[in-house]
Amino acid sequence: MNNFLFTQPFFKKNGKAVAIYFLVAIIFWFVFLVIIPQFYMLDLSFRTNVPPLARGGPEDYYTFEHYSHFIFGSKTATDAFNFVDLGVFGRTIFVSMLVTIANLLFCYPIAFYIAKIANPSTARLLIVSLIIPFWINELLRSFALRILFANEGVINNFLTGVGLLDQGILFITYDIGLYTGLIYAYILLMMFPLYNAIESLDINQIEAAKDLGSSSFRTHWRIVIPHAKPGIVSGCTMVFMLTVGALATPVVLSSPNTLWFPQLIYQWFNMNDNWSRGSAYSIILLIVSVIFVLTMMRIFKVRIGEIIK
Amino acid sequence: MRPSYFINFMMGIYIFIFFAYLFGPLIIMSITAFNSAEFPSITPWECFSFRWFNEGKIAYDGQHLAGLLSDWRLHDGIISSLIIGAGVVTLSVPIGMAAAIVLTQVRSQLRDIYYSISIMPVLFPGVIIGISTVVLWDRIAGLGGEGFIADIGRNGIFLTILAQTCFISTYCFLIFVARLQRFDQTQEEAALDLGASQTQVFFKILVPYLSPAIASAAVIAFLFSFENYNTTVFSILSDQTLTTVIASKVRLGISPALSALALTIIALTIIAAVTYEVLRRRAEKRYTESQEKFVKEKAADNRINKKYKVGFKIPKGITAILLIVVFATYGATQIVKNDLYGQSCIDAADKEKKSKFLEQLQTLESNELTDEELSGGSLGGNQDYGDIFGDPSLFQDFGGFD
Repeated sequence: MNNFLFTQPFFKKNGKAVAIYFLVAIIFWFVFLVIIPQFYMLDLSFRTNVPPLARGGPEDYYTFEHYSHFIFGSKTATDAFNFVDLGVFGRTIFVSMLVTIANLLFCYPIAFYIAKIANPSTARLLIVSLIIPFWINELLRSFALRILFANEGVINNFLTGVGLLDQGILFITYDIGLYTGLIYAYILLMMFPLYNAIESLDINQIEAAKDLGSSSFRTHWRIVIPHAKPGIVSGCTMVFMLTVGALATPVVLSSPNTLWFPQLIYQWFNMNDNWSRGSAYSIILLIVSVIFVLTMMRIFKVRIGEIIK
Repeated sequence: MRPSYFINFMMGIYIFIFFAYLFGPLIIMSITAFNSAEFPSITPWECFSFRWFNEGKIAYDGQHLAGLLSDWRLHDGIISSLIIGAGVVTLSVPIGMAAAIVLTQVRSQLRDIYYSISIMPVLFPGVIIGISTVVLWDRIAGLGGEGFIADIGRNGIFLTILAQTCFISTYCFLIFVARLQRFDQTQEEAALDLGASQTQVFFKILVPYLSPAIASAAVIAFLFSFENYNTTVFSILSDQTLTTVIASKVRLGISPALSALALTIIALTIIAAVTYEVLRRRAEKRYTESQEKFVKEKAADNRINKKYKVGFKIPKGITAILLIVVFATYGATQIVKNDLYGQSCIDAADKEKKSKFLEQLQTLESNELTDEELSGGSLGGNQDYGDIFGDPSLFQDFGGFD
């Protein structure tokens, strides 16, 4: 086993005590914290929802009920498909993609400026001021936006006070607050991979392109962006995954009429006490996330190690 | 690369807008913490007060709005958040370290798989990690009857520690991997040649080398644990942490006490960041000074040692501080001049609101007693109620019961 798994004999290399500590820690993490819970959740998502006492009894059997509920709705419903849940799901994915693209577009100029144009002291100042908002709780950041966007909030009060509007805009009702908040929440996870990737580009390449008569747009398209590709993929993946799985921001900012997909999971799980269905919906979310990561890796030909550093 | 002045100018504007987007909401939220009104706002500025940091207030209609100091649910939440943070640090730092060291010993064919499994938890949505942990431990607790395992499997704090350790270990792992990449293997070999045992090598060479990484992993782990919501909200069960308390407060309606809490956290963050930066710069300066000294000693001629005259330069930080001081004094004088601070102002505002409230009550009562309306004549009461039930925006701001 030793020669198969490790470059050197494991116990001899580390000493017995330390080797045992390594093995215990890693097995505890991989097996008990990562793998078994996921498999158990997968198992539960195929079971009927029964109270704890009835487990193992005749009513506890395997079924596709929860997945078919997601697609076709409950058995008594008249619609052909479960338009409510599918709508929430589709909207979540679609908006997350838009949020990711918006983040990329917003961050690219700043990342390029900090990495290549600004002088070092300004760059350091900008980086520190980028990090500070990131350490503040996601909920509290969303709350800050909520103060701005509420119907009696700062923006509406200002606009009506100045006389631009007679009545406030319903930012929360139309989910404008939610979209702004989602872009706001994870923008720094786009910024840092982008910055790191652009920073490693040799400035002589840009100079050379300029000298050879390339326009500024062309330089970015042909030199900077291809070089920054791993950073772009990494940033997009992180932002998309976090946005799809976001719960804190929608809880604070979404309008009462619309749901974000994790909120739907939360409802099945905590309000309706249907853990099996909650698990099934979680598995659906997980599958989407995995498909997204694999697609990004396939399209842009990067390895998983390059996505997270 | 020298862009034209126009592009530079546009870039400056863009950067300004970007940072305004990042900081504007936080600054406005911080200001609302000092407004004594019940709804966090700036424009109907009532009084300047610290009440949201202290005991809060009892509103004119009898509703109690807790401030920071008097809110026991918040205090309980902070305590359990601290316990969870400590638990997560003690579990995830050793796990991350072990996993990172073993990564250097795994065969190269297996390294990719091993690495992928290690970073997988970060890619899982947080809600899924929380749910899967709860589901598993509920089952385990169900199997064990009434004993110790059943208690522990339904203990929210214990489950939250496990669930958070699952993905925070990955962050620790990545920190250790980055540090280990610069490790010089010959140190280990030298120690072994000099007769150290393998265990001694681990404790005397590897752990001291990794100690900066241990410190930063511990800090990162604690911070991520402290501010996590998505995983915690599932795994905490019936307990409360700081984040779940905040979330339930926000859902019930927004209060300036939350602004006060946020401002406190922001202040702590900035102090920590500044201290860290100062310490780092000092260490860097010491390093460059020692380097310079070394160069000067080695330099053959006196050219390098010549002292250059240094012109007086105003540091950028001072200007910023001066600006803040000027604005603060201006604001303070304005507040004092308009009598917007202190008990008298608050009393006046409360009285005004109370009288308004009483007036409304009286109109309601008088409306109720009108004979014509009781006898089913023209039900013209709508205008008198201010049409509050016809107002479409009345309940739209309400966060719902989810």
